[in-house]
Amino acid sequence: MHRRSAVAFLLALSLPAFADDGIAERLAACAACHGAHGEGMQGTEYVPHLAGKPAGYLFEQLAGFRDGRRVNASMTWLVQFADDGWLHEIATYYAALPPRTQAADTGAEQLTPERRERAGRLVREGDREHGVPACSACHGPDLAGVEPGIPATLGLPADYVVAQFGHWRNGSRRAREPDCMREVARALSPEDIRAVATWLSQQPNATGLRPAPAGSVVPPVACGALQTEATP
Amino acid sequence: MSLRRVLFVLAWLVLPCALAAIAIAAVLFARQGGVEPYRMPHTDRVVAADAATLARGDYLARIGNCRACHTTRGGTPFAGGRAFATGIGTVYSTNITPDREHGIGDWSADEFAHVMRHGVSRRGALYPVFPYAHFAEVADADLDAIYAWLRTQPASASEPPSNRLEPPADSRRALVGWRMLHYRPRDARIDPNDRGRYLVEGLGHCAMCHSARGERGSLPPEGHFAGGRIPGIGWYAPPLDRMQLARYSDGELADYLRTGTSAHGSAYGPMAEVVYASLRALTPDDALAIARHLKQVAPAPLRAPVGTEAGNDPGSKGVQVYAHACADCHGKDGEGKPGAYPPLQGSVAASAPDATNALRLVLYGGMPVALDDGPRPHSMPPFVQQLDADEIAAVVNYLRRRWGGRDSALTAQDVEAMQGIVVD
Repeated sequence: MHRRSAVAFLLALSLPAFADDGIAERLAACAACHGAHGEGMQGTEYVPHLAGKPAGYLFEQLAGFRDGRRVNASMTWLVQFADDGWLHEIATYYAALPPRTQAADTGAEQLTPERRERAGRLVREGDREHGVPACSACHGPDLAGVEPGIPATLGLPADYVVAQFGHWRNGSRRAREPDCMREVARALSPEDIRAVATWLSQQPNATGLRPAPAGSVVPPVACGALQTEATP
Repeated sequence: MSLRRVLFVLAWLVLPCALAAIAIAAVLFARQGGVEPYRMPHTDRVVAADAATLARGDYLARIGNCRACHTTRGGTPFAGGRAFATGIGTVYSTNITPDREHGIGDWSADEFAHVMRHGVSRRGALYPVFPYAHFAEVADADLDAIYAWLRTQPASASEPPSNRLEPPADSRRALVGWRMLHYRPRDARIDPNDRGRYLVEGLGHCAMCHSARGERGSLPPEGHFAGGRIPGIGWYAPPLDRMQLARYSDGELADYLRTGTSAHGSAYGPMAEVVYASLRALTPDDALAIARHLKQVAPAPLRAPVGTEAGNDPGSKGVQVYAHACADCHGKDGEGKPGAYPPLQGSVAASAPDATNALRLVLYGGMPVALDDGPRPHSMPPFVQQLDADEIAAVVNYLRRRWGGRDSALTAQDVEAMQGIVVD
């Protein structure tokens, strides 16, 4: 803990915008699982990184844990008695941090060539027959996310992504309507979900791409997440 | 046995016993309020619903925190369905929206007042998770204002799940037996001008959590505000009396009630919910009245004595874990950091007779209440992934011995038995 607090403190000093309000120090509870810079950390690989994701997306997730649209006891426990202002502040802080550049699961199972090819095609082209759009059609050509409400899919641990698909399928993760991910999750087979999640977890965002600007990506399906208001 | 002998036994043995039992039952029945609670009023009365009355009803419903119990997370406000784990099973809160079929839309003002006062609705006696003993103290005009305001809320046709209770507790008639043993309505209501007491003992229903419970979940007078483990929630609520609250000034306590934060510590768990959903709305005057009242409450007979074991050998492992994991924020000597981290000396977590709160906070960390018009919180990190059960037991024992005077002897098994986050 010594080292982590020290890192959080130095981080606070190194970011002039946040130096005065000590937000990094205030968010020690978040850092315990998401890393001092929101980059994720060793030993908690099933926890997503936060750094560099769109602030609108992060706010919606925090509010979702508070209001029951997402289910995770640890998260709900921490954010359930927070007004929007504080959640916006947390979201803005993590959104401004440098995006994670490493792949999540470099040691994860290797996909067979056929499954890797299938996963790559789902990511780039989708599956017309089952009505599944390409990941890149909504999450941005580089999969680095789109402002203000669509997150990067690079650098996410495979187990985390698979779990999210499970939550969408059983209704315990909900986004603003129209909730296109619910339809995508229901249309994909468990094998395809596992393959795509593994494929994504092995791609780094090596150059630290930020989410694409708002309006630069027009999704092929109606998307509630893009109606998220940008954080003030 | 001859007929004569049978008659003899009946006359001299069974009959007196039966008569005595009937007499005792009659007395107990009278003491739980007699038949009055079971006579639903059929009168109808027009209550005022002008803007001022509705605003007052809104405020009073907020202070009574009707919404927190009668709403699920993310659910329609007041539509009920929140689960309450009790010693006898799970009770679900009811729909109190103005829906005529599923809610209370066809209740008259008198029927509403009757249910609030007596804990008996047209369905029969209510489970005492509904704090009717407290709501009985609420003045007529205030009950009418709450009734009028609830009728302005959107109706919901949602039907809460049925209670899941073991026999005989699943029978409403058994509740009459419970009332005969454990419920004693008061003869006179509190004067609403005694504002602090009126809010604390009435709508505030603070004693539902902050008291020591007796048999079958009852709230005996000698345990009033003595502190205790909250049933079904896994948190300990401290005593509310002049000893416990001595470290707060009136103003500090009033601010704590409205923000959940103070120089002496922050609200977590169920108290954080009460601040977030209810007490934040208190006017400064009402908050001060409550603080002043609580700070002069005499310690209850069932209150646990304060800890006196300070200085006991804390064990070297606890010292090490504390230095490594806690001292950065809470200080080498548990002194805390003003404006950021609370002192451990005298804190509820350290000094309560029950280690529950300390254990939960160390395991799962916490984020104090964050209100848009309140202070920005400092969170506490969870240690469930960084420390093993042995280390957690050692550090909790250490801080409770050193700063709470408690002869704490938690084991790794106790820590494991406690695990699991309770959020609803």
